[in-house]
Amino acid sequence: MRTHVAEPWIEAPLQTFVDDAHALFALLLHPSGQVMGQFGFTRAVDVMAACALAAAIHASAGELGRELDGKPFRELYHAGRDRQIFIGDVSTTRNRFVFLTVFDAESSLGLVRIYFEELCALLERAQPPLHVEAPISAVSLEQDLNRNLAILFGRAPHGTDGESSISLA
Amino acid sequence: MPEIRRLSEELARDPSSLVFMQLGEALRRAGQLDLALKVARRGLERHAHNADAHDLLARICVDRGELQQAFDEWDMVLRLAPSHVGARKGMGYVLFKQGKLTEAEEHLSTAATHDRDDASIATALRMVRRLLRYAHVAANGNGSPGQAELLAAQRRVEEEARLLFADILGEGEHTALLLNADGLVAAGLYITADGEDVSQEVGAALTGVRDEALRAVRHLDLGAWKAVVYETDLATVALAPAMDESMVLVAAGRSVPLGFVRRVLDRCVQRATEWLEEVT
Amino acid sequence: MSASPFESTLAMLIRQRGVLGCLVVGEADGIVVDANVQVGIQSNVIAALAAALYRKARLCSAAAGLSTVGFLQLEAERGHVCAIGRDGLVLVTLAEPRAHIGRIRGAMIESLGVLT
Repeated sequence: MRTHVAEPWIEAPLQTFVDDAHALFALLLHPSGQVMGQFGFTRAVDVMAACALAAAIHASAGELGRELDGKPFRELYHAGRDRQIFIGDVSTTRNRFVFLTVFDAESSLGLVRIYFEELCALLERAQPPLHVEAPISAVSLEQDLNRNLAILFGRAPHGTDGESSISLA
Repeated sequence: MPEIRRLSEELARDPSSLVFMQLGEALRRAGQLDLALKVARRGLERHAHNADAHDLLARICVDRGELQQAFDEWDMVLRLAPSHVGARKGMGYVLFKQGKLTEAEEHLSTAATHDRDDASIATALRMVRRLLRYAHVAANGNGSPGQAELLAAQRRVEEEARLLFADILGEGEHTALLLNADGLVAAGLYITADGEDVSQEVGAALTGVRDEALRAVRHLDLGAWKAVVYETDLATVALAPAMDESMVLVAAGRSVPLGFVRRVLDRCVQRATEWLEEVT
Repeated sequence: MSASPFESTLAMLIRQRGVLGCLVVGEADGIVVDANVQVGIQSNVIAALAAALYRKARLCSAAAGLSTVGFLQLEAERGHVCAIGRDGLVLVTLAEPRAHIGRIRGAMIESLGVLT
């Protein structure tokens, strides 16, 4: 099973993480909730839900960290009975993302943390040069969200700017 | 099987989705071959020109023992994607099973040319070439070997493989296996104290240790791994890499000194390498 | 703050010839519990990988009917990783190729009692 990405430069770092860490699911998103890449999900609606939850959890943890420690918490980990979840903050020089991964006993928190550090380094190296972006409006944000989901699930090619066939409504 | 349920629901929601290939493969791996066949055939009704879908159907047919159907599907794969390595490998396997060694060798050679990193192709090719050589020897150079010569070659290879480490091990309280890249036993024997042959079970179980060792040396920048030796309550187990991503395993009783186990391991690796290199 | 219960064990192991670092690690999560490593050694990386290797050996051995795993040694071109575990903890040593593995093994087996 391969990763699916909204922008080609994300694919190799994300695939490397999934292969090395033996992750069951992986999700890279903007802090706004816009998906950039995923592995393991088969439905757009699941990706949307996971993105929304990850963005909200990440924002809440950030605020909690600021309250308690004067700076946002960078990583979050929950252990379930069979599966574990790790959420981390990816800060490159030109981008900021939230990363979520789900793993089981085939991996471990220690391994996931190592490969997460590697993922951050690979994304730093792979990111394209900075270009000035137009301010984000509510309409353009929704268009971006829909476009990325459409690309991820093979309903639109990379680089398409038009609206996708998937609705967030 | 939550994965199968999830994929099945996804396919039900969108019958034109390519997720049928993931579902068919998951069902095949789970041994639900009738269902896997149904899913693959339905998917092919909508995606008749998808080479990977035909490849999936061929692999399901092989698992069902339907070798000729599998061969025909792989033939279709090659028409759609002439450089499809999986199809060449699969056809080589079917032909090998059918005793058509010369044709099997041709397909496996082509597959090996296209994918030099696939150790399983190299291993299969060595096996076919060894059988061909022994069959020709059995035929005494009188034309191409027949069924009797092929059977004789098969018996000779099995015997060689079974006894590969016998003189190194002697009558000692230890045993050795040569495992291929997939963890399948290529040579040697693992017999329990009760006389039960558990070679395949032990080989399959211990292959995971090799994968973790590879990961550790890669990330710790330790260079190539040379051996993993560990002691259990019952035995000392020693593993070392051999050619084509294969691995030698030696297990000895706890009374055997560690240094001796290591020495036996080195000799078994050397023997395995020589045996594998006999056929290039 | 009281010293870690592993401090003296790790101090004894790090003094062995060729030892670059020694750690106590959680087997299931691969997280460092205590460590004594030379400068430049990434203890979290060794911890995660050594714990994963030890855990895999333990599970594979159980599946193969070979009972409980004790001392484990991974030998590579540029070093050794040694591990021994008990009660969900693993004592790990990273050593140079020149290290005397027999002595390290003996010291680690003797130290097994602290892993509780």
